[in-house]
Amino acid sequence: MDKGARAKLTAIQRIFGLRDFGVLVAAVLIAAFFSVITPVFLTPYNIFNILRQTAELGIIAMAMTVLIVAGEFDLSVGGIYAVTGVVTGLLATRLGLDIWVAAAAGMAAGLLLGFLNGLLIATTRINSFIATLSTMMVFRGIAMVLSQGQPISFKLDFFMDLFGRAELGGMLPVPVLWFAAWGVFAYVLLHRTTFGVKVFATGDNREAADLAGIKTMRVKQVAFLLTSLASGLAALISLSFLKTVTPTQGTGLELEAIAAAVIGGTAMSGGVGSIVGTFFGTFIMAEVRTGLVLLGTDAYVQEAFVGLVIALAVIVNVRLSTRRK
Amino acid sequence: MAEPPFLAVENVSKAFGPTRALDSVSLAVEKGTVFGLAGENGAGKSTLIKVLCGVHAPDSGRVTLDGRPHHPRDPEEAERAGIAVFHQEIPVCPDLSIAANVFLGPAMPRRGIAPDWKRMNARCVELYRTLLGEDIDPERLVKGCTAAEKQLALLVRVLSRSARLVILDEPTTALTPPEVARLFGIIQHLKEQGITFLFVSHMLEELVQLSDAIAVLRDGRNVGMLRKGEFEVQRLSELIAGRTLSQTARRSALRQGTPKVEVRGLGLPGEFRDVSFKVQQGEILGIAGLQGSGRSAVVRALFGAPPAATGEILVDGRPTAIRKPADAMAAGIGYVPEDRNALGIFHEMDVKLNVCMAGIDRFSRRGFLDARNLRGIAGHMCDDLSIKMQGVDAPIRSLSGGNQQKVLISRWLALKPSLLLMSEPTRGVDVGAKEEIVGLILGLSAEGYTFVISSSELEELILVSNRILVMNRGRVSRELEAGEATKDKLILAATT
Repeated sequence: MDKGARAKLTAIQRIFGLRDFGVLVAAVLIAAFFSVITPVFLTPYNIFNILRQTAELGIIAMAMTVLIVAGEFDLSVGGIYAVTGVVTGLLATRLGLDIWVAAAAGMAAGLLLGFLNGLLIATTRINSFIATLSTMMVFRGIAMVLSQGQPISFKLDFFMDLFGRAELGGMLPVPVLWFAAWGVFAYVLLHRTTFGVKVFATGDNREAADLAGIKTMRVKQVAFLLTSLASGLAALISLSFLKTVTPTQGTGLELEAIAAAVIGGTAMSGGVGSIVGTFFGTFIMAEVRTGLVLLGTDAYVQEAFVGLVIALAVIVNVRLSTRRK
Repeated sequence: MAEPPFLAVENVSKAFGPTRALDSVSLAVEKGTVFGLAGENGAGKSTLIKVLCGVHAPDSGRVTLDGRPHHPRDPEEAERAGIAVFHQEIPVCPDLSIAANVFLGPAMPRRGIAPDWKRMNARCVELYRTLLGEDIDPERLVKGCTAAEKQLALLVRVLSRSARLVILDEPTTALTPPEVARLFGIIQHLKEQGITFLFVSHMLEELVQLSDAIAVLRDGRNVGMLRKGEFEVQRLSELIAGRTLSQTARRSALRQGTPKVEVRGLGLPGEFRDVSFKVQQGEILGIAGLQGSGRSAVVRALFGAPPAATGEILVDGRPTAIRKPADAMAAGIGYVPEDRNALGIFHEMDVKLNVCMAGIDRFSRRGFLDARNLRGIAGHMCDDLSIKMQGVDAPIRSLSGGNQQKVLISRWLALKPSLLLMSEPTRGVDVGAKEEIVGLILGLSAEGYTFVISSSELEELILVSNRILVMNRGRVSRELEAGEATKDKLILAATT
């Protein structure tokens, strides 16, 4: 690479970091493609709609990014999402508790499950992929048992407005605001705090991090708490928007969250990733889905397309990162 | 000589860039003998082995095997010519039986598409009997075998493929003394059957015991050949070491009084025991010893990674419990590990975070990063240590090995430690960087920094240390003052 190209590269890197910039370009290109084909694609209404639909996934994917950067996975986020919803629903309807108390209890239940994940991995040192695969099933089972497999419906106006239904200025749905707020929180946490540096260090070189005095196990445990917190928040948004919870909600959410992180440039081996990248990764997945719907494509074809997008994104990422080395 | 030697190496040279790994080396090995090869790390032993088994092609010179020219283009061709190498690490399939490990490969006996276990087991038992004179159960899984049994399985494996020259590269490091005796007995037995051995070892006594002739390599040259009867451990260690370096007269009188660190009866099962020493402020204590002698483990124990099981550590005269790295750091101890890539560098990060990692909490404000402060600290450290780089925001991977090593040293200096532990401080860096790092250590000790350095580079240890402990099989076998330490004394204390 000659000097000029390198200087240009660092200029771009200064804006976004090379990887994030690549995902941004991909998101823009996909948007351009769909807006040429269907004029309704690039309207504020549609963009906000995309963001609203993907807010829950995005919130979880950003927390998942922190965890993957630290070198672990959490496959149980869908289960935690269901348990939080079901616990909140049961306490609010069957026991008639105040929705705020019920929601707080639901979130606490979710956090407890995240704590258990962290504890399981810290004490047994089993691979988190396997550990959370099992807790995924256990948590899902808990949601099924508690609810007896039945959906629970609500009628709670203000709460629902605050988390799911309201639209700011008649335009901006509140889930998008929650998405943005969580995004800022996750960004600051991962990229602007010492905790974030420790997360990167833990995933980059665990032994070196231990030898630099970093308590890597605690870092991972906090990251597990974070994914459970995100799942809880997403569950409240879903509950408020749909006015109902089901014990089967969030099935497959874990893999979508990992996919969004990976499209955004997060390395499965840990130590590499960014919140901005994951935001665009989530957005790309939603773009493709919505675009295909607007095109009137068969719902079954959509899944296949999203799969292709994931493969493509990973190939591009690998190319970019090997060239960088 | 009437009969040409079985293996003749004539004026073989091999250079890697400016380094002459082999410089006109000549050897002659008779059939059915054990030929010992001695030398320090980097003396050229491994290169010679790699030339013989086809990994490297020599730049010049001739090799003949059994009268025919031997210039293999790849390891397979060398194997076909009858050369087998035995490495320190034993490659086996632990979940297969001994017989399967012996026959694994295209020549495995089979019936149709399935392995013919019956025939394989029978042939395996037969091979063990004729080659080693031992009986075995061919169906035992290799993972249940001791290191010695695994080695024997490999020996049978290569011999069953008609190996005529077996290169033993440090075969005894993983063995207990009775196992070594058994292996030597088997080698004697095989010698009588006409198998020739090239025996590489750091253990001089073993070389003397087993070999019929010994060549000593130093700096890529054959500096001496000894025949059976002329062997003497003392003479060998002198040959290996070469001329002893003149001491640099830099040492100032050490402050006496309470030692900076005192270690009493430190022990860790399987690694080391009864290790005691004192280090004064500003002193550089070197620890010498072979790989596996426990020297690296002692240094790691001082950092709590992993901690010692028994014994006491006193810092500034106070008993200090060091159970984990954070404890050591709280006591003002830093540690530069021996394996830079696996244990030190954060490969995906930039220079400044690599410098600041150990003190990241201290250099930040209430948990939030202060990029300006981090840049300032990293820039300052990098200037002090003259680290060559594009800037503190450059990725760590863009730095050379020597500069990466200096970044690791600066990671601890940034914390102003009172004791700096180092393992192999100059491993994997080029000659120029080596000198710079040595100079850096000497300069820091003059400023009052205290060091404990474990290294396999003896010249370097002699150059920097005020005192050198020599470890041998987990114990301190000798303690030498700066004035009296010479390479051959160290080698002698480490290997006998």
